[in-house]
Amino acid sequence: MIAPFYKFDMFGFDTSLVIAFIIGIGFGFFLEKAGFGSARKLAAQFYFKDLAVFKVMFTAIITAMLGIFFLSWFGFLDHSLLYISNTYLLPQIVGGLILGIGFVIGGYCPGTSTVAMATGKIDALIFIIGVIGGIFVYAEMYPIMGDFAKSTNMGRLTLMDISGIPFGIIVFAVVLMAVGGFAGAGWVEKKFGYKDEEKIS
Amino acid sequence: MKFSDLSLNKKLALLAFLLGVIAVFGGNAHNKQQLVVDTAELANQINQTNDGINVIALADKIIKGQADFRLIDLRAEKKFNEYHVPSAENIMVSGFNDIDMPRNEKYYLISDNDILTGQAWALLRAKGYKAVYVIEGGIKEWENSILFPKISANATPNEISEFNKIKEVSMFFGGQPQSVVDSAVTETKISMSKPSMPASVPLKKSVKKKKEGC
Amino acid sequence: MSENIENHTFKRKPYWNPYVAGIGLGLVLLAAFVIMGRGLGASGAMSSLVAYTTSVVAPEHAQNNEFYKEYLGDGSKNPLKDWLVFEVLGVIVGGFISGVFAGRIKKDIDKGPNIKTGSRLIFALLGGGLMGFGAKLAGGCTSGMALTGGALLSVGGWAFMLSVFAGGYAIAYFFRRLWI
Repeated sequence: MIAPFYKFDMFGFDTSLVIAFIIGIGFGFFLEKAGFGSARKLAAQFYFKDLAVFKVMFTAIITAMLGIFFLSWFGFLDHSLLYISNTYLLPQIVGGLILGIGFVIGGYCPGTSTVAMATGKIDALIFIIGVIGGIFVYAEMYPIMGDFAKSTNMGRLTLMDISGIPFGIIVFAVVLMAVGGFAGAGWVEKKFGYKDEEKIS
Repeated sequence: MKFSDLSLNKKLALLAFLLGVIAVFGGNAHNKQQLVVDTAELANQINQTNDGINVIALADKIIKGQADFRLIDLRAEKKFNEYHVPSAENIMVSGFNDIDMPRNEKYYLISDNDILTGQAWALLRAKGYKAVYVIEGGIKEWENSILFPKISANATPNEISEFNKIKEVSMFFGGQPQSVVDSAVTETKISMSKPSMPASVPLKKSVKKKKEGC
Repeated sequence: MSENIENHTFKRKPYWNPYVAGIGLGLVLLAAFVIMGRGLGASGAMSSLVAYTTSVVAPEHAQNNEFYKEYLGDGSKNPLKDWLVFEVLGVIVGGFISGVFAGRIKKDIDKGPNIKTGSRLIFALLGGGLMGFGAKLAGGCTSGMALTGGALLSVGGWAFMLSVFAGGYAIAYFFRRLWI
């Protein structure tokens, strides 16, 4: 096993920053290619008009997931060394709901807003200012919020841990679910989506 | 219907489905537990490197809040819960494969059995960990030197000033420095609750910068 | 001749097939796992910025706050010298590069046809604020928690992802004027 390379001490912290930058370029590039530099396209997900958000996200998830699985199986990657943040169930659900609301009102999420800003969207810039404000408010409220934010700590918890079902079968189930979802998305878009002339492209 | 007749999307879906099916046979994608050990290199490391850390240096680092290492306590959970050095993590050798132990961190090993600590050191070294150190004397030495340092009634002035320095360190960890009248030392049992820590000592986890979160 | 080439290169092009873009994104995510042992993120970089600014403007206040401390560490390193900060800088560059080649660089305000610019900007600010707050409460945003957590099959990641969709769909009707 030689991966993850950084945790096998193949290079140092400073190099990791350069790598961060390069990986970020890839991240931003594909986000923009998917059209996620446009708030309208992102928000269209929530009106069933354009389900690109769902398609891109879940494709990315199953691609990476399959990659992790097979690379681990071949003995190349030590998946126990992959950082998984703790599951704080309640704050994550509440935070997620707030985030979803913010997504529809603002039209972006932090990652896509930086891409949109890079391509000239003023509303994205305003959005980012809002995000910074929101973080600041949270930080100042942390003395009160802190306990809630650290509640229901279930530790490093995966779907395998919680169900006892082996990794490979979960992978299969997630792939099935995603592909099924994609088929469904196609159907929904046909029914509710933008007619070709209106399509956001 | 030939494969090439399918649209791109359908091809991708089929590929994904196929990979998913194959994954079922991969179980938990368990990593191989076998390694290739370079025995000459390992023998060399054993000969050359000085991997001991004495307890006073450790105490010093903890007080200063220098969180650049992970202190691994190899003892059983029960003993760990009775008392452990602040900032220690309880990982037994059997757990080395399960716990998150990246190779680019520094590990200090401590236990109440020097042989065990040595074996754990060799095991980690064989697995390719480079920064592994042994706390000299283990928990017993920590107890003797830090928690319950002793000074005899007829100590030299030098020894007394050394003792006074250690006294501060000892109090920091909630220990009880003692002076003994004769050489017979009564075995002091560590009290059931951990010696209470001064509030200002940041236990490693809270000072450690959020490293890999989002 | 050259005019034609210029038009062709920088004319606004259609977006990619979402599945292809998704695979690209997934491979970038996988690269992060294989090289660094961690996933992607975005809100963390903005948090570092907030923490850093606060520590410069009001250092004592920052030191006394648990949240800022997490990003400031023990003071031995500049909080901006952080993996996510550099990653986000890369995201900006990557987005720009893609935009240039796809002819999509344009000073613009993205909104639906039935709403005024001013209102859109106010909601952008408000939405951003909620985003920032929610992301910190959950410990991540869609890039970090949903994509990364999702790929790693983390229970928290999946719960978060479902909540984001739920929250969005629940409120979409009330803000439809913004978009459609």
